[in-house]
Amino acid sequence: MFGAARTVQKSGANLQFVRTKRIRAGLDPVAQRVVTQLSVISANRKMPKMLKLSKEDFVKHVTVMRAWGVVRKEKKQAEEAQLKQQYESIKEANEDLKHVSQKLFEAANKLEIGKRFPLELRVPTEYPSRSGWFYDYTPRKL
Amino acid sequence: MSHFKWGRRCLATNVATPLSNVQTGVILSRVPQVTPEVTDFEQKFYKYQDELERRLMWTFPRWFYFKKGTVAEREFSQAQKYPLPARDGVWFPKGKPEIRHGRDRRFKENIVLPKAEGHEKQGESSATQVENLDDASRPIKPLPRVTEADKTNNQHSLERKLSRTLYLLVRQNNMWKFPAFPVPDDSKPLHTIAEEGLKNLGGEKLNVWTVSHTPTALLKFSNGKLVHDLPQDGIREYLIRSHIIAGEFQLNKIDGCEEYKWLTREEIQQQTDPAYFEKIDCLLSKV
Repeated sequence: MFGAARTVQKSGANLQFVRTKRIRAGLDPVAQRVVTQLSVISANRKMPKMLKLSKEDFVKHVTVMRAWGVVRKEKKQAEEAQLKQQYESIKEANEDLKHVSQKLFEAANKLEIGKRFPLELRVPTEYPSRSGWFYDYTPRKL
Repeated sequence: MSHFKWGRRCLATNVATPLSNVQTGVILSRVPQVTPEVTDFEQKFYKYQDELERRLMWTFPRWFYFKKGTVAEREFSQAQKYPLPARDGVWFPKGKPEIRHGRDRRFKENIVLPKAEGHEKQGESSATQVENLDDASRPIKPLPRVTEADKTNNQHSLERKLSRTLYLLVRQNNMWKFPAFPVPDDSKPLHTIAEEGLKNLGGEKLNVWTVSHTPTALLKFSNGKLVHDLPQDGIREYLIRSHIIAGEFQLNKIDGCEEYKWLTREEIQQQTDPAYFEKIDCLLSKV
């Protein structure tokens, strides 16, 4: 931890050791840290070589991306069509309910402001949880 | 303040009007527990994108993460596989390497993480070894996405088909359908009757969350069959959407329900009448 002790020659035969900080080559630690941190965000010597696709590879790439676009578009259109059907279904049910019972219709269409998804509802993960399905549920006594 | 306004209308609405032939059904679903299965095309596309991204990634700045002269730095640099540097008089079949910071900048960079101590041999020795759950640095062993219920095809289990939405189907009056409960009068809203009915049907230990008070579909029945135009004595069934969050569904055989199953959309198609499925198809998730 300590550098070579410097001997200070004083007049006479009196030798005295004085502890000093080791002198390092290069920058001081604070400046070195700044340099390291800046080097992380700098592109210097870290950038890969530019990707130059041959004509055939470029056509392949374009084809792949277009195929992906087509698949996504089809998915999106199917979803939208389903949403439309669901809307029609809801509308039909509510029009009918209105004729059957006005009171039930109003109760069913009351605004539910501030309604949220319950926190216990599981968000899908890549693999199932160790605990599995929560079977031992007991309702809270109010 | 409208509750305290006295008038004919206020008095009239306090009296429950009896309803005949109205039922409220429940589409009770279990949301997917794991991410959906990716198709073959999606798998390949993601692989292609991943490889592209890795090829175009900057070199990992190891000097920032590992301090020079530390044990961690030594272990890390020993675990890496370094590319061969270019030499004079040597012919490289794949082109002359251009090495910057220990990476050939023509290709993607492969970072190898040094293995934690003590885990190198355990993984090879026995797969049946009991995992020490307190050990935070244990190797990650994910549970299988295919469960026991899938292998035995147990359709009463909530732990089957984890990547799909499951729906509760019951055999009510000799017809496979969503459970439905009679609405005697208009004193209670539809969703309340549906929730109470589910509690009676499936037991008290059920955590159910109703998505909306609004019915999602109307089914018209006449003599146990789905009809398009409702006769006078036909039954109206309003479907309410809800999710099961926790608890076990144990069927009490009431309201003509004899059997129950948790099924995906495709299985519902096989189990139910074509006319019935056609009507409810748009309400079911394809995932």
